[in-house]
Amino acid sequence: MFRRNDVDSVGSDEAVIATNDDASSCKRCAVALGYWKDRYINYFVKATDRKAPEINRGYFARTVTIKILVDKFIEVTNGNCQIVNIGAGFDTLYWRLVEEGKSVKGFVEFDFPGVTSRKCLYIQRTKQLLQAVSDEDYDVKLNRNNLHGHTYKLTGVDLRNLTEVEAKVKESDLQPDLPTLFLAECVLVYMPLQKSAQLLRWIADRFKSALFINYEMVNLGDRFGEVMLNNLRTRGCDLAGADACQTTETQRKRFLENGWAGADSCDMVGIWSRLPPEEVARVSQIELLDEQELLRQLFAHYAFTTAWTDHRWSEVTL
Amino acid sequence: MPQVTEEAAKRAEEIKNEANEHFKKQQYERAIELYTAAIELDDNTAIYYGNRSLAYLRTECFGYALEDASKALELDKSYIKGYYRRASAYMSLGKFKLALKDYETVTKTRPNDRDARLKFQECQKVVKMIMFQKAIAVEENTKTVAQSIDLRSMVIEDDYEGPRLEEGMVTENFMLELMEHYKAQKKLHRRYAYKILLDIKKQLMKLPTLVDVPIPDGAKFTVCGDIHGQFYDLMNIFKLNGLPSTTNPYLFNGDFVDRGSFSVECIYVLFGFKLLYPDHFFMSRGNHESVTMNQMYGFQGEVKAKYTAQMAELFTEVYNWLPLAHCLNNRVLVMHGGLFSTDDVTLDDIRKTERNRQPPETGIMCELLWSDPMPGKGRAPSKRGVGIQFGSDITWNFLEKNNLEYIIRSHEVKSEGYEVTHGGNCITVFSAPNYCDSMGNRGAFITMTGGDLKPKFTTYEAVPHPPVKPMAYANSILSLFS
Repeated sequence: MFRRNDVDSVGSDEAVIATNDDASSCKRCAVALGYWKDRYINYFVKATDRKAPEINRGYFARTVTIKILVDKFIEVTNGNCQIVNIGAGFDTLYWRLVEEGKSVKGFVEFDFPGVTSRKCLYIQRTKQLLQAVSDEDYDVKLNRNNLHGHTYKLTGVDLRNLTEVEAKVKESDLQPDLPTLFLAECVLVYMPLQKSAQLLRWIADRFKSALFINYEMVNLGDRFGEVMLNNLRTRGCDLAGADACQTTETQRKRFLENGWAGADSCDMVGIWSRLPPEEVARVSQIELLDEQELLRQLFAHYAFTTAWTDHRWSEVTL
Repeated sequence: MPQVTEEAAKRAEEIKNEANEHFKKQQYERAIELYTAAIELDDNTAIYYGNRSLAYLRTECFGYALEDASKALELDKSYIKGYYRRASAYMSLGKFKLALKDYETVTKTRPNDRDARLKFQECQKVVKMIMFQKAIAVEENTKTVAQSIDLRSMVIEDDYEGPRLEEGMVTENFMLELMEHYKAQKKLHRRYAYKILLDIKKQLMKLPTLVDVPIPDGAKFTVCGDIHGQFYDLMNIFKLNGLPSTTNPYLFNGDFVDRGSFSVECIYVLFGFKLLYPDHFFMSRGNHESVTMNQMYGFQGEVKAKYTAQMAELFTEVYNWLPLAHCLNNRVLVMHGGLFSTDDVTLDDIRKTERNRQPPETGIMCELLWSDPMPGKGRAPSKRGVGIQFGSDITWNFLEKNNLEYIIRSHEVKSEGYEVTHGGNCITVFSAPNYCDSMGNRGAFITMTGGDLKPKFTTYEAVPHPPVKPMAYANSILSLFS
């Protein structure tokens, strides 16, 4: 199998960036139907075609799980913590937390400059978004790809470039000794294995009280996984990190082998069964799902992996 | 709850007026912001929620719109606009019965309001179309869509190069041309499309609900499962197993459309063959041959995109007449879903079932289209929320009571395209491979010969198709009512 040359890898960066647009419009669709509340997603992405019910439920499951875990982390640390969203895309978590009055010491988002530049633009020109990152005593500093507020910081960076990451982490005023939650939603899989391993190792080295929440594909070895890989490849998305997505075990191992003290991994079938039953009942009523197997297969091929460098955070679960 | 101060109320009112100004200029996001601000100062005024609800409708946030409308009505039961808003939200969320209730409330409170009456009637039309009711087709005073089609007004343009019916009839030539035409992603002229539907409806109306299919000794017979708009895979079935003919009869067991985006092509090919070989080509209704499914999973959108809304309505009438089950040589029963919630159902009970309607939520017709087999014994509620799950003893009892050998059903995707369960008494066949372009499953069909009727399975992978993704036509329900 030939290695892609540089021209091709620029192409595939664009395809990876496009996954953010896709995920954001899926989330907007689900929000519009009432799956969860998000008053901010509309500022980042336009309305598009309605998605199939299993897609909406899938996005619900992923978004609500992240929210539950993040809320728990903020609670057990009493807000004396930081949140770092890796490959954040147009995620609106920061604004939803502010709306709920949940404050943290630092909230940093990293993504390709091609993404952060657009996000900066949307924030700048939307009062509600700008308001939440502004502070009376602190001027919001921004340039094309970066936005620095008092708590919230948005930074353009190539995560495969560790030196760049180190520099940006420093610039973002992240305190390595504070409890820090790292969030990655379908991000690591697009990085070559040694690059993501490098990144994870570096984080474990620097942040002694870290919790990592990784959501991405799993069980890619079967037919469904094969078809998924193929479909993504035709769109130009090469899952360079697919090897770590073979099973929940390989997902755990990639953390344990890179300096993390403990790790836990559960596929979405398991996660779905642990979500609050009233919520599950509520969303199951929003749309009738004609074929349960579609949802089950979807759920069997995505997983949440949590890893920690501080044993206290092993308690942050559903 | 803290009382709203006069000052706060006054300020809230000012902000609301500002919001209204933005709304008028279609600056909905800004209007929502301001309504929210007004609510923060004064959360007791129904109008703020009502107005915000309308702004949410405009920005297609139907979930929020519903919430706000309900809140407005909670604060003020007599706030008429609240019912309108809520009804709109319900319509957009596909909850038509609930929308109708709200429109009804308005017409009762405002009997002289013409607009209210119009909306109520429109909604009623939609509800009648899709809600479960005993529609008796041959009712003298209701005009069917079929009766209102005027084929003569549909002129064939000079540059139409597609297949033509010969004196209004389907011929073998027509079918061959049609399939090639469709493979090239072209459209059949609407005049011929409508003619096929009108003729099919007439034919289906004459059929019993349970069709008895005789298979002579040694003669071949093929049963296919769900196709779900996967036209190119349907063509592959014919390639693997031969085109339908009087010596190569087929039974297609429901779910011909939805999800796959070539549903129109599939259904016209199937209906075409049914017209061409009425006694050698059989079609059974699936749960997707219904309005709620077609609205959500793309068929209705596809028909509207390729033809007209009127044709979509005609499809509803046609689907209502599809038989619900087939019995092969009095020995093998074939239905889309499965068996029943009670022990004493006979073939005669199926024959007597009134089928010209949308599938109901309970009863024989519902269960024929929706039930699933399960491992173990007894019954359990369906995971789908409609129909039931039935165990091996249920199947055995049913077969024994009705003197049958086994049942064939479809309805569930299987990784190998088929599954034999209940000790061979219950076979599932699913013919749409790589379902939704994502499942990676094989498709399958069953062949058998008259005589022993032993099932043989052929499985196959998906074939390539033009880059139209599944559910391409399943747009959000257009809000005609906000």
